[in-house]
Amino acid sequence: MTRVASLTVPPLIAAQEMEAARQIAPHLIDTPFAVQLRRFVLWVGLSALFIALCIGVDMTPAAFARGLTKLADFMRGMFPPNAAGGEVRILQALAATFAMAVTGTFLGVLGALPLGLLGAKTFVANPVLHFLIRRSFDVFRAIPALVWALILIVAFGLGPFGGVIALALTDIPRLGKLYAEAIENSDPRPQEGIRATGGQRRAAIRFGLLPEVLPVMASQSLYMLESNFRNAAILGIVGAGGIGFELEERIRIFAFDQVAWIVIAYVLCVMALDYVSEKIRSKLVHG
Amino acid sequence: MAPNEALKAQIIREFEAERRVTLLRLRLQQALVLVGFSALIAACFHVSGFFGGSQGSDPWGRIANLLDIMIPDLKAGVIFEDRATKGSLASWFYDMPTWLSLLWETVQIAIVATLFGIFGGFWASLLASKNLSPSPIIHWLTRRTLEVIRTLPDLIVALILVAAFGVGPLPGVIAIALGTMASLGKLYSEANEAADMRPVEAVRAVGGSWWAQVRFGVLPQVLPHYASYGLLRLEINVGAAAALGVVGAGGIGIELSRAITYTEFDTYFALLILIIGLIILIDLVSEAVRHRLIGLESPA
Repeated sequence: MTRVASLTVPPLIAAQEMEAARQIAPHLIDTPFAVQLRRFVLWVGLSALFIALCIGVDMTPAAFARGLTKLADFMRGMFPPNAAGGEVRILQALAATFAMAVTGTFLGVLGALPLGLLGAKTFVANPVLHFLIRRSFDVFRAIPALVWALILIVAFGLGPFGGVIALALTDIPRLGKLYAEAIENSDPRPQEGIRATGGQRRAAIRFGLLPEVLPVMASQSLYMLESNFRNAAILGIVGAGGIGFELEERIRIFAFDQVAWIVIAYVLCVMALDYVSEKIRSKLVHG
Repeated sequence: MAPNEALKAQIIREFEAERRVTLLRLRLQQALVLVGFSALIAACFHVSGFFGGSQGSDPWGRIANLLDIMIPDLKAGVIFEDRATKGSLASWFYDMPTWLSLLWETVQIAIVATLFGIFGGFWASLLASKNLSPSPIIHWLTRRTLEVIRTLPDLIVALILVAAFGVGPLPGVIAIALGTMASLGKLYSEANEAADMRPVEAVRAVGGSWWAQVRFGVLPQVLPHYASYGLLRLEINVGAAAALGVVGAGGIGIELSRAITYTEFDTYFALLILIIGLIILIDLVSEAVRHRLIGLESPA
């Protein structure tokens, strides 16, 4: 249909006009050979690099196929999901994981409050200091909770304590950055108003800053709780107990029907928490 | 005058009464929230054994002890000596070649997984964005699928995949790629939905196919967002890949868990320094690339 239409409409540029244009600026009409060659080399080079990287991580079709057959076996073993009488134990483990997440987030919030204030440009005006504080947040933010948990659990013994501290350590830089940004983005005029009427710096923070940033910070802390519920689940793998421990135990003995049951229960819990938390967050931010 | 005064007093009385009730209800509500919140926190502290668990009676002492065994005994006199000398830097970082190759493997895992994640996330986002999805049912199904994948932590996926694919980097790549696909699919679909639909309509009006509409109508608008989200994800994935080795999915994590098993806490500290260094490096590179992309987008 489009072809018919283009036949009936006269071409916008006649052939001789095209030729004239080619005379004036040939590089705009035909792609020069050098550019074509450069593009070709670039594509070949990038593809070769990509393939080399794939081979470097064993991403070969053979390895893939072998794993997929095994994975299909596991998948078949997952149906029907079955708790094998461990329902109460699993739900208790889920509750323990949730408790770990709440405690870790709470400690993280406590730690991040002063650091967030220090990281805000409006409080630490020195640009070098500001840069250093924020950069250190960025660096520590990228260290996964598992890396902290691994050593803390050895130090504090098996159990949730080390996991809680690991979660808090992961949260502090992440929340610190978010808090600092919230404080920086706050409107300075209410604080100026309080200072102008003779209020102290403390009064300016209490009545000028906090009413504006607290809802934002509370919402970010809730968001961190959602992320910690996921993190807390994996800490069980290295000995913090909870749902991760139950899951690892059953993967190790290839009891995939029980794995499926736990995963489904866990996913439902995460979704429920996300739903509740999002309701509260939107209420906090939009009043 | 008098009945009017009485009426006024009556209104004021009623207002005062209502105000008292409202205030009381508000205070009560706040008190209830506070009590409930404190109870939740207390219960959670209790369940996670925060006070008096297996951490012993002297938590500060244990932290001090941990820091003490993590910090290596470097001696100023022999600091640049070779590996055999105790107290030198080389004896602290005693297995540097292995660690560097494992760090490189970590980077490879992150890059390959991010690329596959970007590719998968792109296709998923086309199906998951309201304005481009071929049908509402596919839109809904894709969204829910991405949500379910996002709820699963990558390490748990990796744990199952290690059982299927065996110990090595491949299960780590697949686990991270899945997570990346799910989160980028969501972010990309949000970018797609925010795109201006007029170019898309223009391509459709001249008879362009669905792919032509996406390629010439949407992609030019959203590509800078795609790239910047992808690079941010790469930074996150390097951190995630560093942890994966703990469950046997390749990268520097294997050495981390080996150091813990052999109680080489100073080695753990050394590895932590290397990981932080790697993260800073990736951060700087990705930031430079992102700034370049923004510069390309709007030439000054």
